[in-house]
Amino acid sequence: MKNYSKLLISKVIFLGSISVVAQQQQLKDTLMGSGDPVVVTATRTVGKYSQLSLPVTVINAQEIKRTGLLRLQDILQEQTGVAITNAPLGNSLNGYPNPFGQGIQLMGLDPAYTLFLLDGEPLVGRNAGILNTGRIATGNIRQVEIVKGPSSSLYGSEAMAGVINVITQQPESPSLDVQLFRSSPEIYSSSLSYGTRFKKSSLQLFGHQYWSGGYDLDPHLLGKTQDPFRILAGSSKWVYNPSSRSQITMSLRLNNQVQNNRYQVQLSSSPEFVAGKAIDNDFTAFLQYRVLLGEKSKLFFRSFLNKYSNESWVNKETNNALFDAIHFRQQFFKQELEFQVPFKNGSKLLALAGWSADRVFASRYSEQPPLSTFFICLQQEWKLFHDRLSFNAGGRVDKRSDYAARVSPRIALSWQPDARWKVTASAGGGFKAPDFRHMFLNFSNAQIGYSLIGASALSDELIQLQQNGLLQTGASIVPFLQKNPLKPEYGVGWHLRVRHVIKKGSFAVGIFNNRINQLIDLYTLPFARSNGLPIYSYRNAGDIFSRGAEVEAQLTVYGNFSVNLGYQYLLAKDIGVLESIDAQKLYRRDPETFTTTLLTRAQYVGLPNRSRHMGQLKLLYEDSNAGRFAYIRFIYRSAFGWADINGNNVIDDHREMAEGFLLVNLSAAQQINRWLSLQGNVENLLNYTNPKYAPHLPGRQVSLSLFFQLKNTLSK
Amino acid sequence: MRTVSIFSSLCLICLILFTSCTKEQTPAPRPMTRVQVLSVPFSTRGSHTFFSFKDSTTVTVADSASAKWDFAIRFARIIVNSQASGPGNAGVMMQDGIFSNITSAPLTGYSYDTTSTRLAIQDGSWYDYNPRTHSFIPKAGKVFIFRTANGVNYAKMQLLAVDYAPFTGPVPSTLLYKFEYTYQPGNGNSFQ
Repeated sequence: MKNYSKLLISKVIFLGSISVVAQQQQLKDTLMGSGDPVVVTATRTVGKYSQLSLPVTVINAQEIKRTGLLRLQDILQEQTGVAITNAPLGNSLNGYPNPFGQGIQLMGLDPAYTLFLLDGEPLVGRNAGILNTGRIATGNIRQVEIVKGPSSSLYGSEAMAGVINVITQQPESPSLDVQLFRSSPEIYSSSLSYGTRFKKSSLQLFGHQYWSGGYDLDPHLLGKTQDPFRILAGSSKWVYNPSSRSQITMSLRLNNQVQNNRYQVQLSSSPEFVAGKAIDNDFTAFLQYRVLLGEKSKLFFRSFLNKYSNESWVNKETNNALFDAIHFRQQFFKQELEFQVPFKNGSKLLALAGWSADRVFASRYSEQPPLSTFFICLQQEWKLFHDRLSFNAGGRVDKRSDYAARVSPRIALSWQPDARWKVTASAGGGFKAPDFRHMFLNFSNAQIGYSLIGASALSDELIQLQQNGLLQTGASIVPFLQKNPLKPEYGVGWHLRVRHVIKKGSFAVGIFNNRINQLIDLYTLPFARSNGLPIYSYRNAGDIFSRGAEVEAQLTVYGNFSVNLGYQYLLAKDIGVLESIDAQKLYRRDPETFTTTLLTRAQYVGLPNRSRHMGQLKLLYEDSNAGRFAYIRFIYRSAFGWADINGNNVIDDHREMAEGFLLVNLSAAQQINRWLSLQGNVENLLNYTNPKYAPHLPGRQVSLSLFFQLKNTLSK
Repeated sequence: MRTVSIFSSLCLICLILFTSCTKEQTPAPRPMTRVQVLSVPFSTRGSHTFFSFKDSTTVTVADSASAKWDFAIRFARIIVNSQASGPGNAGVMMQDGIFSNITSAPLTGYSYDTTSTRLAIQDGSWYDYNPRTHSFIPKAGKVFIFRTANGVNYAKMQLLAVDYAPFTGPVPSTLLYKFEYTYQPGNGNSFQ
């Protein structure tokens, strides 16, 4: 631990491919990392955490390592205001596996509204709106930055709830890290990270392997809750400095995941097992050229490519005949030019312009052209009154080929009357463009027979259905023949926060309010297929809000013992539902007595999947001199809405809610010698499981990690 | 005494006759309210399950071409005995409100199954399908008001629940429609 902190002090840190010299002052390790971490995501420029005017949570490498957690979502779940939600598509009638996994909910907003970045570049491949975060290996993460609140002013579409930026290790001084992990129930994982330096360039290599035997939470259902899978991942980053004024960064990343699926299906006569694989491939390539203009101004040219594919198939076990096969492939290409001008008083100007192309090929999707987006973005940050007041204003214009240009502004203010107090306020607008699923999905359920057709594919599909006599006779399709009927969803949000720093810790209180308008939602067409079954499509309908308060505190009690506490109170509701309640149009029917009454505002709980109370308490004992620590985390989530049972399609009854739960995670480590440390972890100590409401929790998991770390010494 | 007793007996007989006569002359049958469960196959094909308010029972498929039934269900499709669906004179309308607060049936404004695809009760108008739980939940506060197949009587009906009968394997076999109705067997449109 001691070596590590020394290292932090003196070396050059590259962040988001922007190099900065770390503060020369002694950084004391507190519970949640080094005193004043450097953050890049909030403003796209390098800044100190203490100077930020936006709400950001920073998780550093040391904290990730200490938790002993290997899945990114488990690490995020231990942060204030972050919840894991299961895909709203749910399971099929008797346990057909959910292919879309879990999403990250920020401030009570749906996972689709949080933009995921890896080293500052977007991750694509939202199959059914959900991003598989299992694609991100945690072994080489340098820092995770969570920016809360609309950030479309810098990042464009999707960043309505916020941005999660996973920043991986940068080529620094020579180093070698090896991590071995073994847990019960069976998971084997290993990773290797190697950094080296040549004359004018440096290289970072990373390899990762993960194997999970899966788990089964419900033995009554045939097939496992989580089928076995393995991940192989590799990445390389190369930084070359042709001169002191220019730098080239190149990185490549590949992630390959193979899951062995096996489950039961009901064929016409009898149930039968099907088995097959789901293969997930993710490839990114990144190139950046940075040059200094004048004294300190920087010009960046960036090129980025991400190819994602998910292919899965299952065969019948009896005769090996193909039962079902689906694929989803997405390609994303982006080029941008960025200009940063720092002024002498600390003010900064940022200008960005670029272009991106996005294309999906998928079964169940109609064919479609690539979508191209042009964007330009400006941001100015002023430092006034000797850094006591900082003001940040910016905006971005995005013009995608299929809808009108969108403008996303943001302003942020921070006021520090003295070194102990800080007040920040920010407000911004964000948007989310209709995604491929909303526009191009073309899915017919063979078992029941309904159709779900994306809004942009609807007109062609309806014409075809009518020509083939598959539409109900006399159906009037004319109102549904618009080419691009969907508009982007857009939102506004603000955040206010007061932070007080004392000698041995800090305390912060914040409130936030977000509203999202013209939410894209399913609707039923007023006519049916010729077999009488409904046709669904997507349209802009409804507005929602999410508002709440958060509290965060950290305190070093005795030298080696520290406490961290986080809590979020949340209200997230559908504005249309509130209006219907006021108009006395919504009723509820008791599922046991069958008495019907009018619904009241007090009974309406809010949007499903949101917990009113969420919090975590973390206790750490750390003795850096002896090289050991013990760390215990309590993570609580109160009851959350699940599904309507009383006939109004909203959550307004405790029987419609999943119970709250408490997770307890433990870890402890001992440094064996200079290079080697051994860590034991117990994840989910109380063995809380719920196959229906929380299938992502595998129950108690006991694991052992071995870390081998060679730094500094290599250079000698 | 004798005349008196004869007289009183006559009076008594008269009284009995009179009272019984009154009874027959003003038959005021009360509207009846019941809760019943209808078993409907989990299939969009095959025949409907027919129901008669008057007899409080299902009607056989053999009688489907008669006015003996009022409404019928197949999967999540509800037809009424009218025009394209049957020879009856039934009609239906949907009202928002609390079942017990609806005290009478309107005399006009009923809808009919004009064609096999233009039904009086539109699919999706009375339930929410939840893809998470795969349940069809009847919307609360929706009351169907029927004019029955004979074109004379009225009934109000609300669906209380649509459940799956216990099943093995991934696909259910039977839907259980639980519903409450008030049938006015007499003249008039009052449910009280």
